[in-house]
Amino acid sequence: MSLARSLSSVVRALRSPKGGISGAWLVLVVLGAIFAGVLTPFDYDVQDLPGAFVAPSATHWLGTDEFGRDLLTRILYGARTSLSVSSIAIGLSVFTGMVLGAAAGYLGGAFDRAVTIFVDLTWSFPEILVALILVAIIGPGITGTMAAIGVAYLAQFTRLTRAQIMAIRSETYIEAARSVGASGSFILFRHLLPNALAPVLVAAMLATGDAIILEATLGFFGLGAQPPTPSWGAMMSSGSALLFKAPWIIIFPGLAVAVTVIAVNLFGDALIHALDIKTRLREV
Amino acid sequence: MRATRTDRSNDHTNDTDNNQQREFDKMFMMVKKHLLAASVSVTALLPIGAMAQEAVFVLGTNEVGIPSYNLLTAVNTNSVYPMIYDNLVAQDDDLSFHPYLAESWEEAPDGMSWVFHLKSGVTFHNGKPFTSADVAKFIEMFRSTESSYMVDAIASVETPDDLTVKFNMKNPDPNILYNLASSFMGIPDPDAVTALGDDYGITEAVGTGPFKLESFTLGQETVVVRNDDYAWGSSLSANQGPAKLARITFREIPEDSTAFLELKSGGVDALLALPTDYLAEIATDATLAVAKIPGQEVYYMPINVTKEPFTDIRVRQAAALAINQPEILANVFSNYGAVANNFLISALPESKIDPALTISYDAAKSNALLDEAGWTMGADGIREKDGQKLSVSLWTQNDSIFRRLTEVVQAELKAVGFDAQIQTFDSSTIRDQYKTGEHQLAVRSYFWNNADIVDWFFGADRLGYPNVSMFNDPKAEELRTKAMTGSKTSEERVANFTAYHEYVTSQFPYAPIYQPEQNMAFNKDRLDMPTEINGTSITGVVMVDVGVKE
Repeated sequence: MSLARSLSSVVRALRSPKGGISGAWLVLVVLGAIFAGVLTPFDYDVQDLPGAFVAPSATHWLGTDEFGRDLLTRILYGARTSLSVSSIAIGLSVFTGMVLGAAAGYLGGAFDRAVTIFVDLTWSFPEILVALILVAIIGPGITGTMAAIGVAYLAQFTRLTRAQIMAIRSETYIEAARSVGASGSFILFRHLLPNALAPVLVAAMLATGDAIILEATLGFFGLGAQPPTPSWGAMMSSGSALLFKAPWIIIFPGLAVAVTVIAVNLFGDALIHALDIKTRLREV
Repeated sequence: MRATRTDRSNDHTNDTDNNQQREFDKMFMMVKKHLLAASVSVTALLPIGAMAQEAVFVLGTNEVGIPSYNLLTAVNTNSVYPMIYDNLVAQDDDLSFHPYLAESWEEAPDGMSWVFHLKSGVTFHNGKPFTSADVAKFIEMFRSTESSYMVDAIASVETPDDLTVKFNMKNPDPNILYNLASSFMGIPDPDAVTALGDDYGITEAVGTGPFKLESFTLGQETVVVRNDDYAWGSSLSANQGPAKLARITFREIPEDSTAFLELKSGGVDALLALPTDYLAEIATDATLAVAKIPGQEVYYMPINVTKEPFTDIRVRQAAALAINQPEILANVFSNYGAVANNFLISALPESKIDPALTISYDAAKSNALLDEAGWTMGADGIREKDGQKLSVSLWTQNDSIFRRLTEVVQAELKAVGFDAQIQTFDSSTIRDQYKTGEHQLAVRSYFWNNADIVDWFFGADRLGYPNVSMFNDPKAEELRTKAMTGSKTSEERVANFTAYHEYVTSQFPYAPIYQPEQNMAFNKDRLDMPTEINGTSITGVVMVDVGVKE
């Protein structure tokens, strides 16, 4: 599956109503995250203590937090943290997982066994536990969170790629390629990996949704991005203590997480349909 | 008195378990309510007192995670300790001392001996009579604890008869009554401690207190039942006999908001420590009320004096003067409580240090000191020196109030040119982290109402933790020794501790922040609280007078 083809399936996914609506929200969030600095006149880190706990108003559309900072501004900058942490972490996870999985699936033997054992070991723990342990080792902060989420999802992509490669490698066209003298790496990169990409892409999309929640969870525990850098999870965590005094502090970041994660999942669904094997066969 | 001398501790790793437990408890409470409702019709037939005199209290988040009820291994205690154990003497909120297990006492004119006359007829929970031999054994056992300094001045203990104890002193110790009244020195049955070994305080705890330990689940709850033999209550209690409540469950809920919701929904009857954020909400709820308890807590920012750039006293002073105490009091704590300008709570005479040495917000002076120390303001608002940014670590623990306060401190430090990087740790691990000595600044709090807390947190033999400031100063050590062991009378001790406290403060190993007031919240439809709370916190002395309205 070439880049052009994957782009075209994304476009196809966007055409379905489910994909269209969720895609639009995601584009909105991404744009909000990128242009946060231009979109709002407020700073995310400048405190105005006497102006704390202001309810949503014309000046502060979503109100202010316990430090008098504009909540909408914090949510936009928080999208930056949430999206960048989760997508970079999943990106790392997909890349490493594909390399490991492809190598294990293609090479087989002792290397395969070693990788499988390692991956199954991390697979047997819930992602949150793996992430918590890693953050405890690396230390709290954005880097720690990225690494922790990346490793937490590594098993999923390694297993997926490996299974795909194992299934494809005995196909006749691979044998044909080998018989005309194609090298191992050529076969891996030209035939095996591109054909294993589609399910990994969908899995990556769905994992990004989970990763946003995981990032928010680590943030909620105070282990994610450290203040004053905003993160949706940390905002909800501080809001939970102020539920009665200023409910908007927990409600809006909570909505941001919920709607974005639902959008990511719906878009992933739409992508599954767009990448449907039957459709692809028809194209060929 | 409750004396969680050390710090707020909190364990979020148990949240899932706690949630399940909470769900279970809720179901249980519902069933219990139905049973109660059903029993109302039956009660007319039963003698008064047969009704369930039970209550559920929630410990403060700072009290969560006590590993056992063994006083001899405890570094921290919680509010359940004084339910199980009685002390020789009791302290009131005006800091005066009153008879408890000791009926009376005399101090020799030279302060070199103390004689305590014990009440007769006192028995331990296991039925064993309480005698002077138990006190003597307990004092000997106490010498191997972390808090052994409390009995350092006692050279030997004599027991002329079963009800008389005599302490022969190495040096006069005007603080001995305070130590004996401390929750660390509630008296267990020394033979039970020896017999049970590591299990003591977990499966069983034997004291003489108004309540017996029924069960203890680490990090979740402690259940105590009434000691029906109790007849030796302190004169600070209205009721000297058995407690009114037959059974109390003390739950540990690590998150304030969850605890508050439990109180509002009737799942629990009282919160021993209510955060100020909820005071306004309590006022709007007709079923809830607040009881004020004298404040014993101080929030402060320890400064690690061994880490650059804080090896320079000017930088330490600048950081300390950047803390805007009035702003924090008004905006983080809604003006409940008071600012802190030195290390001790205002109720203590030793807190009255030379006004010139108290630490109050002064941004202009802070900036001037940093300029003088060679840290020039950079374009990004962060100071620099020799190409090095004034970037420091600021540690805190993950309770919501600490995180919030630390973010304000971070912004205040930024205002004078510090780039403080917050690092949040789980409260159960942060103490071990301090022992590595890697931190530069931190936000902490302690509970204690005696000046010897200065010794605890700044003594050179406790570097890392509890001496988070890593403060080790020969002159301070000299003043410390004098204060701890060289005072013959209370007046002398106050003078010596004031001098020690003054000197420590002048070296800026910390910045004072805030003194909270302590509020207990309770359901007034359920609990019958005494109108006046005696003692220094909610102890057994108070709890014997608490009843349930039916």
